[in-house]
Amino acid sequence: MIDTALIEKINTVLADEFEVDADMIQPDAPLMETLNLDSLDLVDMVVLIEHNFGFTVVAKDFAGIKTFNDFYHFINSRLDEKKETPK
Amino acid sequence: MKKRRPQNEWSGKSRGGAAGYLTFVFIIKYLGVTMAYVLLSFVVIYYIPFAPGATASVWFYSRKILGKGVLSSLIFIYKSFFSLGVALIDKTAASAGMYNQFKFDFHEPGEVKDVLNSSTGAVILGAHFGNWEIGAPYFDKYGKRMRVVMVDSEYQKIKQILETQKKVETFTVIPVKEGSLSHIFEIRDALEEGAYIAIQGDRINAGGRGVEMEFMGSKAMFPVGPFVIAARFDVPVVFYYAIRTGYKRYLFHFELCKMESGPGYKRVEKAIMESYVKGLERVVRRAPEQWFNYFKFWK
Repeated sequence: MIDTALIEKINTVLADEFEVDADMIQPDAPLMETLNLDSLDLVDMVVLIEHNFGFTVVAKDFAGIKTFNDFYHFINSRLDEKKETPK
Repeated sequence: MKKRRPQNEWSGKSRGGAAGYLTFVFIIKYLGVTMAYVLLSFVVIYYIPFAPGATASVWFYSRKILGKGVLSSLIFIYKSFFSLGVALIDKTAASAGMYNQFKFDFHEPGEVKDVLNSSTGAVILGAHFGNWEIGAPYFDKYGKRMRVVMVDSEYQKIKQILETQKKVETFTVIPVKEGSLSHIFEIRDALEEGAYIAIQGDRINAGGRGVEMEFMGSKAMFPVGPFVIAARFDVPVVFYYAIRTGYKRYLFHFELCKMESGPGYKRVEKAIMESYVKGLERVVRRAPEQWFNYFKFWK
């Protein structure tokens, strides 16, 4: 189960960064199309994730992400991994 | 700045095949650079009628942008193609180990040296102007290899030629493949490792995003990508050009892009682009025949 606060944070960050109406961000909506992303916007996405969630992404991380729900799960699982990794 | 999808983008293909190139390699190797220039002076005459698209673009550039007359423009077309040929010959000779035949002058302010000497990565923005590749090995003195961001089709062509000659590249390439996003991550990782990332900031690849800018007195489209990368990854940006100033002589011209600190990477992106375009105009006015964008660059 993903924390509602995390989903809200993700939605706010995405809506602000990519200048879309927050109502358009729905769990089953397609991520790329809704945010109108191209390869250059991916640069923004990479930096946005690093700055807001504190971990680094690699190309294959994006392979399975189709919807916002996929994106929430991806962020959530990486944050969990981060918590579990001993410092 | 007006952001839009460009109509006057580069097709992604350059003229000239491996066979012609290898002929010049043979002449450079066995008869010398000067003899290659002599052969080039005849080859250029062939190119003027048989490369009508390129000829038309140089004609437009000379007449409308530089404001030259008809006769001057005819001479200018010849000079432009000849300069491109000389650039190819010189970089071939240099990469074949004849580096010591050339003289190099440097315009390298202290602030640029500081950036290049530091352990942080940097974005080196150049253009299809002059002969930037002839200076690529120079970056080795800082103990870092230059990594050049290049369209994959161009990279494959260079690789094929190098393989035929059994030579290795003097720089590492980060290929930009259609439909692939891997280059974004390669660039980020390289910058984090403290590498120099060289990107040409003057050509829009097919399907790429562009911004309309005032350049040499007219509107032209510039790619957004190099400037997004420079602004977003928050590293120093250096403008670099290698200008041919005489017989076997080049000037390596460096400028540090001065960026005011403050919030908003879009503002930084815009500032880098404006600074780049102004700087590029200054160097192109200095040697206009070394501008090698042979397609409809201006609107």
